[in-house]
This record gives sequence, structure tokens and C-alpha cells, in this order.
Amino acid sequence: MADPIPAADAAVTGGYGTLAMLLIVIAVSVWLGTQAQKAVERGGFMKGYFLGNRGLGAWALALTATVQSGGTFMGFPSLVYAHGWVVALWIASYMVVPITGFAVLGKRFAQISRRTGAITVPDLFDARFGDQRVGLLASLLIIFFMTFLMVAQFKAGAIVMKLAWPGNGALALAEDTTGNPIDQAYYVGLAIFSLTVVGYTLIGGFLASVWTDLFQSVLMVIGVVMLFLLVVPLASMNGMDRPTLDAVAATGPAYAFGPGFPKGDKLFLPLGTAISFFFVWAIGGIGSPASMVRVMACKDNQTMRRSIVLLSFYNLLIYLPLVVICICGRALMPNVPHEDEIIPRLAIWSARQWAGGSFISGLILAAPFGAVMATVSTYLVVIASGLVRDIYQRFLRPAASDGEIRRVSHIVMILFGVIGVAANIRPVGFLQTLIIFSTTSTASAFVTPAIMLAFWRRATAAGTISAMVIGAGTNVGFSIARLSLDGPTYDRWSFGLEPIVWGLAASATTGVVVSLLTSPPRAELVSSLFDAQPATKRQVAPSTA
Amino acid sequence: MSPPPEDVVVKAARREACMALAMWVIAMFYTITYCYLHGYNRSVESLTFVLWFPDWVFWGIVVPWLTCIVLSTVFAFRVMGDESLGEDIDESAGDSGVSHG
Repeated sequence: MADPIPAADAAVTGGYGTLAMLLIVIAVSVWLGTQAQKAVERGGFMKGYFLGNRGLGAWALALTATVQSGGTFMGFPSLVYAHGWVVALWIASYMVVPITGFAVLGKRFAQISRRTGAITVPDLFDARFGDQRVGLLASLLIIFFMTFLMVAQFKAGAIVMKLAWPGNGALALAEDTTGNPIDQAYYVGLAIFSLTVVGYTLIGGFLASVWTDLFQSVLMVIGVVMLFLLVVPLASMNGMDRPTLDAVAATGPAYAFGPGFPKGDKLFLPLGTAISFFFVWAIGGIGSPASMVRVMACKDNQTMRRSIVLLSFYNLLIYLPLVVICICGRALMPNVPHEDEIIPRLAIWSARQWAGGSFISGLILAAPFGAVMATVSTYLVVIASGLVRDIYQRFLRPAASDGEIRRVSHIVMILFGVIGVAANIRPVGFLQTLIIFSTTSTASAFVTPAIMLAFWRRATAAGTISAMVIGAGTNVGFSIARLSLDGPTYDRWSFGLEPIVWGLAASATTGVVVSLLTSPPRAELVSSLFDAQPATKRQVAPSTA
Repeated sequence: MSPPPEDVVVKAARREACMALAMWVIAMFYTITYCYLHGYNRSVESLTFVLWFPDWVFWGIVVPWLTCIVLSTVFAFRVMGDESLGEDIDESAGDSGVSHG
């Protein structure tokens, strides 16, 4: 077997290559922002800045619409390292994410947004149901939940920046600040990160966020493939079964099986949780506003079809190799003090004997940093579009000029950048919990309404509003119950299922029942969005509420 | 006067959405059932490997994952239609298309 490396021996730090790669990522992101600005200038401001003139190609759509945030990429390896092979089951529904992500709603969202001229997700709800209240509620929910998500990512970005500093000695890329005190380096990291990401997003809008997201997605796959080639042969030089058997020897038999190697008393993946995560990734992702708006921005049908295939192969290259890498990591480094450090430690240790090893490890480590920047950028655009398009222009200044909208968009982005910084000067400890609340609540609020919007002629505004409110509320309620109750009590009441499953079920039931109990929607409005139209007819579905 | 026929995009999208959701249900049922029956509460002594993967991971996750890629590719290039998504309404109409009550 490959001799395990004591944690202390592996405690090397990022060199100048790591820092150089982060600076390159920043430079490329700013450059992409300026290129995006040129593309935006080619069309009208609103559609260009918030929707990229509906010109997303297959690569941009595939690698940015459903790929998870920086936080997920940073947290996933630590889960594998901690709990073992069962994490492959936890993430397994990514096998169908490409098809559920694009084939369930993509075609209809793209079509309806073109027919109505909708630029944002609330725009789409407003136009489809002919009721401003639906759009307003969608806006408020999106802004509320996405602000929490965005703020949390600022903290992650600042910590990555801090840890990349040569000689720092700390390697964890986690958002957890345990062992990574909030000090001057953190504030410098926060300042650099915030200025960069707000700056390029402000310059290039939606396209800047998409292009930087695409850039980090490519970095990520390069990093994973390189790490696989560096680490796995070392761990399995005496047989492909050795990494697992060595990891089992270092932990226990549970590491090779479900429900996983436990931390404390809590089982990682009992049956109910395993079922729930097929809903979380494959169905919850459909309801992400950031994903929905990117589908609305796709160029054409062919783009969507190609995206399904591209994303299928991308997911295969990312997730299963990462599982194997981290199992090998447990065999090679059985006692890493902070589980989040496994990827940086493996990267730096395995590349140490190569020419330019620091640069190679820097390339691998730059990917999560890019992912965090792209995530913040995405949320900034969605929040700004919600405030500017769906509230400012719709309710306050319907006749606002392009110039005024541009100024207000910039002010909103700067304002939310300031909020992101202010909230992280003294970052609170329960942000991770808020992230989970926000992600699953958004999914619970929007999956059913989105399906009703796209496919159900009888769906009403009241049904949609009820589905949003009850879906989000149920998810938050069950999440609070899970935090408040002990594990067995929660499992007894919830049948072991995650809150999002109950949120989705409550949302679907409420949406259907309330729609059937309320007056049918206007026939001409439904017909304009569901029926074949004369070639010369232009459809716009105005609100009447 | 008879109502206009349903848009071809609506019909195609509904059919494709049903197929996608069916694929999700089948993948979930197979993967969870197989992994629960073969990957939970076992002894290490009974474990065999395919490549780096424990047998239950390979047959319960890797194989269906590869199958889904093949099916997704077939779906994208053979099943999914290429109907026109329609023209975007004019930019001027788009901006004024914001409903103002």
C-alpha cells in the first residue's frame, strides 16, 4: 500500500503559484467583463444587460445554468473525505440533472419569454398570468432569498483570497472560519474580492456573470482531471481496491457503505435522505431563478439540445472523479485536521515534485475561487434585475430612459456590494444554515409555479401565488423543526425526508387546489401563450390586475 | 368558430418534459433500490471492486450514470424537436411590454 502521509508532513502551504493563479483569474474576469460590455452595447440596454440579448450558446448554457456554486464545489470533497463512498449516492441525481434542467422547462420558458418580451423571471410570471401581484411576489422572494446566498459567498471569497497568500499556512477553503481568524488578511481579501466581482459585473451585467462562470467551469474540469491524474495513480499503485481498503483501515467499515462513516451520532445518508437528494439536485435545480433566466436567454432549440449532452459529460468528468480523488485522499492522508483542506493539501502535495508544481496546484485551487466569484456575480445580476426591472421600472418609473435604468442598475449593484461587505465585516456563524434555507426555499417556492406557468392552461394567478407562499413557508417550517427537534423525533414526523420534499409537495397540492377553486384565467391570454398564432401576430400579454 | 390548435412547441415541450421526468423517476428508483439493497449494512469481507469502485457503487451509480448519458444524448439528438421558439418581440415593445397595470 502507499504509505499514508502524516498530516503534519502534508502541511505545506500555497506558494506564489497559487496567488498568481488567483490574480490571473481576477484579471481574466475583469477582461471578460469589458468584453461583455461591448456585447451589451450592441443591443438595447435592458435586454442586453440583464439577458445577454438572448444569445447564449451551448457551452455557456450547459456549463453555467445548472452547475453548482463555489460553496458546493468546496464542500463536496470534504463530505466524501469525511463520510466515504455513500456520498456518491448523495450526488447521484446529477446523472439526470442535464435532462431535467433543460428538457422540463427550457423550451417553454424560452418560447414564452420571446412571445411576451419577458426579460426577468418575475416578468415571465407577470405576463403569463396577467397579474402584477404574481410578478411582484416572485421578485420579493427572489431578492429576499438570493441576498442571503450572495452575502454568504462574499465571505467564502474573502477567505479563499486570504488563504492563498504564500506562507499563510492555512489551507481550508471552507466558509467556516474556525481556525481561520478574521484578521487584516481577511479584510484585504474581502476588499479585493468585492471590488473585483462587483466591478466586472457592473461593467458587463448578465453576460459578464455567464462568461466568468463558463471560465471557472472550464478551470474546474481542468483542475479535477489534473488532480485525478496526479493523485489516483499514487494511491492505487498496488491495486485499484487499495484506496478504499486503506481508507477503511483508517476509519472503519462504514466508510465503504451506506449510510456512510458517521460524525458523532448522526447518520449521514439514511434512506429518506438519499431519496430527498434526488429531489434536491434534479428537481430543486429547476426552480432556481438563476437557472431559469439562463434558459430564457438561450439562443435557440439546438443550443438547448447540445447543452444537455455537454452538461452530461461535464458532470461525469467532475463528480465521480472527485469522489475517487477524495477516497484516495483519505487513504493517503487519513488524518487531515480540517476536512475542507483535503483538495488543497492533495493539490499542493501531489504537484510538489513537478516543475512549476506551485503553478499547477494554483491552477487547481483557482477553480473554486472562480466559482465563488461567478456565483456572486450571478446573484448580483438576478437581484439587480429584480429591483430595477420588476420594481423600479414596473411600479415607480415606467417611462424611465435607458440611461436612467443603467444608472439605477449600477447603483443597485454597488449597494448590494456594500451590503455584502458590511454583512461580512463581522460574519455571523449561522450563514451556512441560511444558505440551505434560501436554496431549498427558493426551489420549494418556484418549481411548481414554473411548471404551472409552462404547461397548465387552467393555472391561475391565485393558485400560483399560493404555491409560492406555501412552498417556501413549508420548507422554512420543516427546516426550523429539524433544527429544533432531536433527530429521531424529526424523522418520525417527516418520514425521514428533507424539508424541500415537503415544500415541493405542499406547493404542488396548494397550486392545483387553489387554481381549481378560483376563476379560470382569461381565455385570450391563455390562448396567446398556448395556441398556434398567425404568422403576423405579435403577442404581448399585458397585466390587467 | 373552432379554437385554434395548440402550439406545436407546447405539445413537444410537454411530451419532452414528461419523458425527462420519467427518466428521473426511473433513475431514482433503480439507483436508490440497488444501492440500498447492496450498499447498506454489509461486511467489508463481502466487498468486491470494479475499477476503483466498490461493486454497489459501480452497478448502482456508475452504470446508471453512463446509461443516462447515452439516453440523454439520444434524447437530445433524436427525440427532442427543433421547433422554432418564435421571434423575440421588438426591443421597444419589449421594454414597453412591462405591464403597468
